[in-house]
Amino acid sequence: MFRMVCEPIEPMPMNHKGAGGFVTFEGKVRDRNDGQAVQRLEYEAFAPMAEAEGEKILCEAKSIFGLLEAKASHRVGLLEIGETAVWIGVASPHRESAFKACAYVIDEIKKRVPIWKKEHYVNGASEWIGCHDATVPALEQEFYRRQTVLSSIGEVGQARLAGARVLVVGAGGLGSAALPYLAASGVGHIGICDGDPVEISNLHRQVIYDFGDQGLNKAERAAQGLRQLNPFIEVKEHPFRINIENARETVREYDIVIDGTDNFATKFLLNDLCVELKKPLVQASLHQYEGQLLVVDSRSDGGCLRCIWPEAPYDGCVGTCAEAGVLGVLPGVFGVLQANEVIKLVLGIGDVLSEELLTLDLRNYEAMRIKRTKRSECLTCRGDTNAAPRIDIPMGEANELQLVIIDIREPEEWEADALFPCHRVPLGTLAELTKKALANQPCLLVCQSGMRSAQTAREFRAQGITAFSLVGGINSL
Amino acid sequence: MGTYPATSAVQMERMIITVSYFAILREQRGLSRETLETSACTYGELYLELKSAHGFTLTENLVKVANRGEFVEMSSCFGEGAEVVFIPPVAGG
Repeated sequence: MFRMVCEPIEPMPMNHKGAGGFVTFEGKVRDRNDGQAVQRLEYEAFAPMAEAEGEKILCEAKSIFGLLEAKASHRVGLLEIGETAVWIGVASPHRESAFKACAYVIDEIKKRVPIWKKEHYVNGASEWIGCHDATVPALEQEFYRRQTVLSSIGEVGQARLAGARVLVVGAGGLGSAALPYLAASGVGHIGICDGDPVEISNLHRQVIYDFGDQGLNKAERAAQGLRQLNPFIEVKEHPFRINIENARETVREYDIVIDGTDNFATKFLLNDLCVELKKPLVQASLHQYEGQLLVVDSRSDGGCLRCIWPEAPYDGCVGTCAEAGVLGVLPGVFGVLQANEVIKLVLGIGDVLSEELLTLDLRNYEAMRIKRTKRSECLTCRGDTNAAPRIDIPMGEANELQLVIIDIREPEEWEADALFPCHRVPLGTLAELTKKALANQPCLLVCQSGMRSAQTAREFRAQGITAFSLVGGINSL
Repeated sequence: MGTYPATSAVQMERMIITVSYFAILREQRGLSRETLETSACTYGELYLELKSAHGFTLTENLVKVANRGEFVEMSSCFGEGAEVVFIPPVAGG
């Protein structure tokens, strides 16, 4: 067990009946370093990364020296002379291996765990010093040099970025702008989720792809490009379309999610999941020459997407990029702003849009920041897992939406003359092929009472198809 | 505009406000911002008035409204000089 702690270190209990030797080590803050009189010390670290590396060292020590137990803790924050900066305890059947293991652990911590210390000298000066020996190779340091000189980033900030895990859902217009900047800034683990192939009509705005990439999967092609851009990071492709079934396990691996999708069903799916899993979601949506940007962060008072739109709007109500058109630079601007929000979240700098909605019109640079607040009755923010986009709609709305109508009843239920123009596809014969044909065509499913159709519409949505159910079924007409 | 006679309970006041439109509403209205006079009391009434005048396709429940940089409820009332913004959902990416 390796812990980074803010409070004075308490030795951890070590009770093991098989232990013949128990060795502890305490590293203290001393009053001199390199000939300079030191007044106090300040330690800083990115805890998840430091703890992961520390844990690794303890595991190694256990297996190399056959230890029964190994524990350590390291302080962060301001320490006075004489305070304990690091504590290590190991228990072993024999004293010799316990001594050796303890020395191994402190040596490796000094070498490998990314912790920085700021020495405050008696003469009033101070200086940040890496405690670890060149954790970051020179070439990699050089890569980030122009941003590590920024006072709010530095080596500590760079280590935070290296430890960050960011998932970009949708490697289209927004994703193709956000991804290169995330990679270049040194976000250490980037996931790319997209099931679509590159198409020629993407290229005016999805500028990470070129003419020869047509037909290639976007997630795989984008990942390849990012690895070439920055060899010091890890990139993972998820070459499928995100849906209800795969979203949870995909999102779970990451700390922050960028929504670069282009439909309400997926945007609300990500919203609900990120609120539930407490992962910040950086969301952008576009229309022709203008867009909206916001951050959903359950730690803030700004609420989520459903605090603004309690029911997910149905797809098709405002048109997609394909239907309404989009200025090529628009996703470029908004994707870069999404990357900016991610970097601010990781570094803890600036004002993140977690309690506001930013709108920006590229035609005239008219921008507006609208304050958002959490709605007390929001089902998603309250943790009601039954919150789902509206499925049941009346016939009038279906007509307005020009939905493809499918009667899923069995032949024996059919009226002699259909009550309205529709496809008759009994539930049992609703094969994969039909579902595929519907992939980009919103549909209304109809049954006798609205029960079977609602259930099937839910299943369709899980597969990424925009489906509705006639509320009350044929009986309601 | 003439003055309206007072009704039994409510004085029908006409107010001058500015209204801004985003995305598909901007398109359907054909402009970004206008100053107008209305007798509507709530944002919802105002939206319905504008919807029938300009043929907006979005129903009231799909549109959000803000006044002076803060989201407000469609059912609440606004006052003279309100700076109303109607924001439709936007899906593109």
